[in-house]
Amino acid sequence: MTLLAKKSAKEHDTELLAAVAAGSRRALEELYLGYHRRLARFLSRITPRYENVEEIINDTFMIVWQSAKDFRYASQVSTWIIGIAYRTALKSLRRQKNHSAARSLDELPEQTVDPTCDTEVQDWLMHGLNQLPMEQRLTLELAYHMGHSLEEIAAITECPVGTVKARMFHAREKLRMYLPTLGGTASEWTAGGG
Amino acid sequence: MKNLPGTGSPVHPDISALIPWYVNGSIGERERRRVDAHLARCAHCRDELTREQWVYRNMTAETAVEYMPAVSLNRLQARLDSIGVAKAERAQEDEAAAVAADVAADAAAEPRRRSMPWQGLMAASVAVMAVALSFLATDRWLQYRARAAAPAAYYTVTTAVPRAPDEAIRAVFSPTTTLTELQGILDEAQLRIVSGPTEAGVYSLAAKSGRPVSSSLALLRSHAQVRFAESTTSAPIEPLTTP
Repeated sequence: MTLLAKKSAKEHDTELLAAVAAGSRRALEELYLGYHRRLARFLSRITPRYENVEEIINDTFMIVWQSAKDFRYASQVSTWIIGIAYRTALKSLRRQKNHSAARSLDELPEQTVDPTCDTEVQDWLMHGLNQLPMEQRLTLELAYHMGHSLEEIAAITECPVGTVKARMFHAREKLRMYLPTLGGTASEWTAGGG
Repeated sequence: MKNLPGTGSPVHPDISALIPWYVNGSIGERERRRVDAHLARCAHCRDELTREQWVYRNMTAETAVEYMPAVSLNRLQARLDSIGVAKAERAQEDEAAAVAADVAADAAAEPRRRSMPWQGLMAASVAVMAVALSFLATDRWLQYRARAAAPAAYYTVTTAVPRAPDEAIRAVFSPTTTLTELQGILDEAQLRIVSGPTEAGVYSLAAKSGRPVSSSLALLRSHAQVRFAESTTSAPIEPLTTP
């Protein structure tokens, strides 16, 4: 996404949220459709079933609907919405005894695998990610999967920047240790996926 | 064959900490140049960058999972609708509760009223008494007005009452005057009582003979028992001489 497109998207989000704050169901619908794919992909990596993903997304937008009028635009709309989704997901996962509901390879059949994608590599990586504590896993997902900056992740997770740095450090360290023991080839790992 | 990648701590931790943000493109321009400069001369950090890019690529790889936002959105809309309905119902319930509270308050007050029926009777009797008093007061007032309008039951010397045809003098005697003394005074003055006494003790006197009224009047005025004597005729009265 270009800088101009990003700016335009931010402005559009801001306009939509203002309309939501004014009670526009149509604006909420547009915001929902704009974020659903991103949130669903993010959440599907940390919760096993699509029903849970949908529930978290809808819970998130219920909060957006009810709290839009309280948003002070101190952060980006996207950061705010993803922050709500993050906290909603954490609560949901903790309700389900935290990691017991986390995704495992046995539950992957829910996904349709792209035949052009190296599924073995992704499965291997997924196993490694599943070994991480939830906060570290989510920090990696927010950075790599969602593309957020250090400061944005701090805002989303409502943590100091130092905490995010520490989580990222430990996540990478553990992943570096887990991946070789889970399988995979050195060429994939060291050659950046071949 | 599984080759183990390097698992040791990063050789350059400050650069290593920047690599994730370098990889996802969110790093600031100044730090990006710093990383670039370091990578150009550090093989360890280039390897680390390669591994991190591999993780990044695989984490961002598109899956063929298709989500159905429209279906989820319908469910969200239904939830929002139910909240709207619930809000409206709550508002109705609140209103109903407020009405019920009013009714309950009235009902709570009602038994108190019912438990003291004498209060009603008392109020009724007070009302009856008030009506009766108003009638009584009206009656008394009418009586008072009637008495005020009626002629006085007594006469004073100035009372405008019908005079006896031959009345010549009005006189008031001392209360201690006996009937014999009164009769002696009247005989001496050649007068007779035509009416009276009134409640004020006023006698209307008439001449018994041709004696002038002024002479009779002077005689009356000469007696100590006579408190007041006055001619009722238009004839000039001679001044009373003190004996």
